[in-house]
Amino acid sequence: MALADPIAAGIASGWNVTDAATLSGHTDLEADVVVIGTGAGGGTTAEILSGRGLKVIMVEEGRLYHQKDFNMDELKSYSNLYQEGMSRATKDGAIAVLQGRCVGGSTTVNWTSSFRTPDETLNYWSEQFGLEQLKPESMKFWFDNRMERHSMAPWQMPPNANNDVLRQGCDKLGWSWGVIPRNVKGCWNLGYCGVGCPTNAKQGALLTTVPGALENGAQLIHGLRADRLQWREDRIESLQASAFKADGYTPSGASVTLRAKHFVVAASAIGSPGLLLRSELPDPHERLGKRSFIHPVNATIARMPERVDPYYGAPQSIYSDQFNFANGVDGAVGFKMEVPPLHPAMAAGVLPGHGEQQATDMANLPRLQSVLALLRDGFHPDSPGGTVELREDGSPVLDYPMTDYLWNGVREAYLAMAELQFAAGAEAVKLAHMDARWHQSWKDTREEINRLPMALHKVRLFTAHQMGGCGMGSDPRTSVVDGNGLHHQIRNLSVHDASAFPTSIGANPQLSVYALSARQSTRLAEKLTA
Amino acid sequence: MMDRRSFLKAGLGGTLLLGTVSLGAGLSGCDAQPAGERPDLASSDGAGYRFGFLTDADIVMFQALVPAVIAPALTQKERLPAVTAQTIRDIDAGILRFSTATRKEIRQLFDLLTFGPSRLAMTRIWSWENASQADTAAFLERWRTSRFGLFNKGYIAITKLTNVAFYGNAANFALSGYPGPPPWATAALPQFQTETL
Ligand SMILES: Cc1cc2nc3c(=O)[nH]c(=O)nc-3n(C[C@H](O)[C@H](O)[C@H](O)COP(=O)(O)OP(=O)(O)OC[C@H]3O[C@@H](n4cnc5c(N)ncnc54)[C@H](O)[C@@H]3O)c2cc1C
Ligand code: SF4
Repeated sequence: MALADPIAAGIASGWNVTDAATLSGHTDLEADVVVIGTGAGGGTTAEILSGRGLKVIMVEEGRLYHQKDFNMDELKSYSNLYQEGMSRATKDGAIAVLQGRCVGGSTTVNWTSSFRTPDETLNYWSEQFGLEQLKPESMKFWFDNRMERHSMAPWQMPPNANNDVLRQGCDKLGWSWGVIPRNVKGCWNLGYCGVGCPTNAKQGALLTTVPGALENGAQLIHGLRADRLQWREDRIESLQASAFKADGYTPSGASVTLRAKHFVVAASAIGSPGLLLRSELPDPHERLGKRSFIHPVNATIARMPERVDPYYGAPQSIYSDQFNFANGVDGAVGFKMEVPPLHPAMAAGVLPGHGEQQATDMANLPRLQSVLALLRDGFHPDSPGGTVELREDGSPVLDYPMTDYLWNGVREAYLAMAELQFAAGAEAVKLAHMDARWHQSWKDTREEINRLPMALHKVRLFTAHQMGGCGMGSDPRTSVVDGNGLHHQIRNLSVHDASAFPTSIGANPQLSVYALSARQSTRLAEKLTA
Repeated sequence: MMDRRSFLKAGLGGTLLLGTVSLGAGLSGCDAQPAGERPDLASSDGAGYRFGFLTDADIVMFQALVPAVIAPALTQKERLPAVTAQTIRDIDAGILRFSTATRKEIRQLFDLLTFGPSRLAMTRIWSWENASQADTAAFLERWRTSRFGLFNKGYIAITKLTNVAFYGNAANFALSGYPGPPPWATAALPQFQTETL
């Protein structure tokens, strides 16, 4: 199956796919529903709505890349498949923001870890945001349903050496760990999920819901950016969009107006609140763009006595929730521990350095191992999240202030990760921190962690999980959309992506997005076809 | 927007603290054009490259910076000029895909680093053309260890652009011990049988 490219075959069979680079002048289009964004949320929405006989148009700002383009080349992939050519960062530049920009969205480049939303999180939403309809008992059906759609199952092969360090460290310390479910079918265990799966094994939106929607007769226009929703009173009348040239980033000057009965925004966190802000939609309680979350990530690097080959093998297969809810859902910040893959450009980006030290560190890449911590932000008054704003040119940017509450979590996470790496047999450990040095003992590393400043531009922070900004809730004074994803003020507008989460998830979010989008889309289909 | 004179009046400290936002279109203003064709930096395989972002002044700076970041990694020192040229081309190609806003920030950083008075005050480098690798490395070390977040940020920008372009290039995989995509996989996958992307 890896040798047949289902996207190429689908296009040949007559799918309605338009490369916006081929458009000129102005085009007018009409549909029952326009879906903006083709990632986890948008793909799911498009497939379900088109499956109910609705005429759907998918609008995607990134281009359609598929097997023929997935060459396991980091530089090309980062330039083509990621937002802002992999240079996206928070407003002050202190946190690197990894986010997809292509058909399939972040699911085309994600690491395939597939977790249900933790019960603690869903129960918190119910209590704090009036989202009783999303309690674990009601969501179970949707998680099961989406796990099947995306072929999600616990990884059957042994973990690669990089992940096995996490398992061994947990075992030694008596900490809990588990095997990660992955959304793959016939995976070759290569390790290139982050640059576009070359074998068609990854069951992200690109190979499941987007083709499903196209089979149902939906239209996909890629290389087309949603600029502005035109609205009057409580209805969206049209979407104004503009096309890029075939290079994917130069505006071509061509424009498209799309009219529809209903509009679903799924441009993800940062993108969706950005579009709504640009459209100057009613926002009487100034909620738009607020409470944006990122699971801030910090990491430690270990030098192991044996080869790890951290670039090969399923990138994530082991996790530890030892510290995720240890302080309750809303106490001191919890964190989930996982492992990142380390390909050379990625490793060099995480470990910025120069000269001899950098040369030595990088020359050791085959023996390097890394653990990361995902901080569970948004569950405490001292973690109110960031704010999406518009730059002068209308593009969205996330202002994310790190609070002392979060810095304490960063320090705790460094301590846990370094202790774990030494327990698993690391020769030496270095924090991903500008002032850090290699240390050969846990004691010295601990001493350094307690001494180093936890500060912006010192701690190397990144995020691959953007959430919130169009948060759900039953009260319009504290949320943007309701528990069914419908906008509180505009009747024919829904948000079906990670931006609708009222807090972070506390686990890698793709299954949360798939499941929530499937639930909201099924309800929306009933409403629109009634 | 600020011209050279008001920049000097505002004083370097103030400008830096205001950071990238206050400098508008940058010190060198509109006269800084991308370098375009640079036959002296072309690859040996004859494939042409047009610089779309880096100016001639930026290139002079990177001809000093790139070796300071990566030369110690090179096992064959005679490769340095070609590797430096390749890395500068890849840095340019990478930046072209950044957002307009990020490109503007980088433009401002590079302007500060190439415009005489600010360069001297911030980097203690008299001229990039004559800077020794040791001088350049010392400048990088000062920015890395500075107490000021903005200098750390500048350091991260320079080293990240350089390291990613350098280590991400297949010609340099061996230097990180990365064997590259597994040959058994590339032999079996259709997209590797012809040149694509
Ligand atoms: C490197 C990486 C690794 C990850 N690993 C995992 C993992 O292992 N497990 C996991 O659960 N999650 C992972 N994630 C996160 C996960 O993929 C996302 O949380 C999820 O895809 C979010 O779904 P979404 O629909 O909100 O957005 P996305 O899937 O990102 O889709 C949004 C789409 O909207 C498009 N868009 C944005 N603005 C516009 C506009 N103005 N006009 C038109 N289109 C627009 C974007 O180009 C994009 O294609 C990872 C993410 C990254 C970047
Ligand atoms: S490990 Fe390799 S084959 Fe498996 S899903 Fe990831 S990229 Fe595809």
